[in-house]
Amino acid sequence: MSWFVLIKRSDLLCVWRLAMSDAVLATVGLKVRFGGLVAVDDVSLECRRGRLTGLIGPNGAGKTTFIDAVTGFLPNNSKGSVLLEGEEVFGCSPHRLSHYGLTRTWQTLELFDDVTVRSNLDIASRRLTVGSALLDYFRPRQRAERVDEVLELLNLGDIAERQPRELSQGQRKLVGVGRALVAESSNILLLDEPAAGLDKAETEWFGAQLRCLVDQGYTMLVVDHDMGLVLNVCDFIHMLVFGQLTASGTPDVMRNNADVIAAYLGHSGTG
Amino acid sequence: MIARLSLAERVGAVGLAALALAWIAGALLNRETFFDPVLFGLGSGAIIAALAIGLVVAFRASGVINFGHGAVATYVTYVYVSLVSDGRYPVPPLPNPLAPIEGIAGIEIFDFPTFINMGDSMPRIPALLIALATAAALGLVAHFAIFRPLRYAPVLAKVIASLGIMLFLQAAVVLRFGARAKAAEPIFPNEPVEIFGARVGQDRLWILGTVAVITAGLWLLFRYSRFGIATRAGAENERFATLLGFNADFAAGVNWVMASVLAGLVGILVSPITGVTPNFFTVLLISSLGAALLGRMSSFVIAAVAGFMLGIVDQQLFRLELEWDWIPDIGIRRALPFVVIALAMVIRGESLPSRGALTVERLPDAHSPRITRGRVIAYGVLIAGAFWLTVFAPFQYRNGMQNSMIGIILALSLVVVTGYVGQISLMQMALAGVSAFAVASFVNQAEMTLLVAVPLAVASGVGFGLIAAIPSLRTRGASLAIVTLASGLAIAEIFFARPGWFGLDRGIKTAGTPAIFGVEFGPNSKFFLGDGKVPTGGYGVFLLFVVAACCISVMRLRRSRLGEQMLAVRANERAAAAAGVNVAAIKLSAFAISSFLAALGGTLIAFDLGTFGGDSFGIFASLTLLAFAYLGGISTVGGAITAGTLFSEGIGIVVTNEWFIDVGPYTAYVAGFFLIATAVYNNEGIDGFQRKQVQQLGARLNRLWRLRAPTKADA
Repeated sequence: MSWFVLIKRSDLLCVWRLAMSDAVLATVGLKVRFGGLVAVDDVSLECRRGRLTGLIGPNGAGKTTFIDAVTGFLPNNSKGSVLLEGEEVFGCSPHRLSHYGLTRTWQTLELFDDVTVRSNLDIASRRLTVGSALLDYFRPRQRAERVDEVLELLNLGDIAERQPRELSQGQRKLVGVGRALVAESSNILLLDEPAAGLDKAETEWFGAQLRCLVDQGYTMLVVDHDMGLVLNVCDFIHMLVFGQLTASGTPDVMRNNADVIAAYLGHSGTG
Repeated sequence: MIARLSLAERVGAVGLAALALAWIAGALLNRETFFDPVLFGLGSGAIIAALAIGLVVAFRASGVINFGHGAVATYVTYVYVSLVSDGRYPVPPLPNPLAPIEGIAGIEIFDFPTFINMGDSMPRIPALLIALATAAALGLVAHFAIFRPLRYAPVLAKVIASLGIMLFLQAAVVLRFGARAKAAEPIFPNEPVEIFGARVGQDRLWILGTVAVITAGLWLLFRYSRFGIATRAGAENERFATLLGFNADFAAGVNWVMASVLAGLVGILVSPITGVTPNFFTVLLISSLGAALLGRMSSFVIAAVAGFMLGIVDQQLFRLELEWDWIPDIGIRRALPFVVIALAMVIRGESLPSRGALTVERLPDAHSPRITRGRVIAYGVLIAGAFWLTVFAPFQYRNGMQNSMIGIILALSLVVVTGYVGQISLMQMALAGVSAFAVASFVNQAEMTLLVAVPLAVASGVGFGLIAAIPSLRTRGASLAIVTLASGLAIAEIFFARPGWFGLDRGIKTAGTPAIFGVEFGPNSKFFLGDGKVPTGGYGVFLLFVVAACCISVMRLRRSRLGEQMLAVRANERAAAAAGVNVAAIKLSAFAISSFLAALGGTLIAFDLGTFGGDSFGIFASLTLLAFAYLGGISTVGGAITAGTLFSEGIGIVVTNEWFIDVGPYTAYVAGFFLIATAVYNNEGIDGFQRKQVQQLGARLNRLWRLRAPTKADA
């Protein structure tokens, strides 16, 4: 519990609440700094089990930076505490976090374009050790059941043998989600702008898919611009403005929150 | 400012400052040891600095690290020397469309001019202008014909294209002028002057001044002019720059011309001091790459200062090696560029790219064919043909087959590390050399048996490969190519170019005849098949087994989980890490496998007919290997096999020589040309090209067949 002595006093309450709550993922005082710019400022939030948590905010609010920091991509720029199932994971490398079940998708997809959809999932499905790599090399590979399961879950079975660049944008987003879901012990999924580049109908369909996954027991954090998506499918919403957490609440509360309307809905017009 | 530096950068800065202070103190105490080298180093330092700022200009223009920069300097210098001494302008060797006919018919129908005569010898100024105009033309061609079409291409294609420029221009110089050193008449006065009691040629100071003025000018130009802003904007994002009203393309073209002219000017100015050989500037370019990297490929001032420092430190180490007996005479200073570049990487590199790359074109397809009955038959026919060629064909074909098979193994080493994982390695032949020299000394000096010597030698090659691969964990793309190039140079200069290492004398060696349990199977040993002349079939058959095993292993690797993770790293390091792939471990394992194959190739060379020397394993051998591997197809086993046939003195070359024309002297030239063409127009290499043709043909036949006989499925 080395983080315990490092955190600020005001965070102690937060930690106490976390210990009592059912949070899969929680950040305590997470801070990201690029030179003089503070991109994420002391953000403490939590994602509860079996819930779809939303993270909204105007452009440049630090939403993607927040995900980058949580998933270990900004080791030199961030500090604070990240708790996964109550254990401190801040400072772990991205691949280790993935093994722990903290996975993410990307706004820009970043699929492995050279291999099939099934291989995309296959790569993420099992961690490779020296032993398992050798075993796999010398013995014919067994099919990963988990991959089939996820392909089934996301209705990707028909396109499993195709390459990502042959698919529609919505399908590719789903492959990205599948790749994040397929990790050995999937605890929580961080989705970075999953609706970017989708039209309204696709967004609705995609939102329904997400809701369906959450109802089956998955835990997710969704970062998005699309207020329609976030307000309709999320259970709980946080708002970031200039790196600071300014408002949190259920969709109904957020819909009427003055800060949210001022910072976001006032000139966006959606939702 | 200080707060922004990372801990490593701060430690580095303090270390540098301490070293500088110690140096100044030394210079005050002992002028000859610590001050004279500074003056002597100014000459080479100026070349390194000037080449480095040229690299920065080209990088700013189109994000390309131009490995051909030194070759441009060489070519322009030779043009100038030729004009001044003989008044002849060299015409670059052009492809003669009639050559195949001439070769078969044995007559010469048309002779391309090799030089244009312009009188006896030209005065210096017009010669300088013509030579620099040539440089400008080279810059325009480089931009418009090569790097502009490649602007959205993967880094690999850009690196390959610039290597193609290097091979092409150097080969052109060798074809036109031979490999002898040349020197022009000095432009600057060269009477010595005295500085603090040390005498130094005046011309060095003039060159120092010229480089300093150019650096300051470029800095001002890029800092304050609209042109500089346009260049920066264009390199960042051409489309937006165009929308903002900058003509980014024009700016990039101008920059290429500037870089090229600068390279030519440096070459012409320094050639009177140093003389120039066809690969002189390319070897110096490795130091320049280090200097430019220290300036993050963007700062002219840091690049220039670092360039001068590299030249000076090199001279200083040379002096200390002479004076201080306790320093082992192994050419430590040759490792200087590698040390500087590796440190720069460790200090300034990132373990994962901080941002995803802009959308780029696709990397070559790592095609993995399904094993069908037809393919098995085809492979069988291929192996049978190879067997016939290695055992029963005339000796030159047998020899070509042996060279090709070793080439296949070496090319496979690049398929793993560059094709599958996307890490550009320019040190493969150095690793091969380590194990070749090692096995030769283990067998000859230590008198080990083969079963001990070969694994030990291969292991030493893998060890070197892994050490050199450590910087790869914090770098990628063109920077990694530079690191591996520098490490290849360091290995070659320290271990192959001087006596003492591996207990061998300088010069030519061989590991002798391979034998296990008294059964000899070398190229000179008796073999029960074939005509019994040297090289006999025994070694060829042995090679055939080794090659087949290597090819099958690499194919299996591609299909295995490890291979899939390798492709994931190649496609996207960040996404791979997020998907649970340990990027560092995958890169290291790829380097280990690749070094293993390269080292295996090296031991096979050591047992091959004839002897070998350090030149077989120098940096140019590594560059040529990558060229052939890319030409064949960098990401498939089929590509490696194709590369093997193209390999120097391989079966493809033998067949061309026997049936068409003697391509020997033109090999590097033609390879350089096709390398550029491959990078620009077809990054899948010959293998991918053939595969597509066959697929198209298959699809066409299929359509024809269906038109004639509609099946139930169609109905």
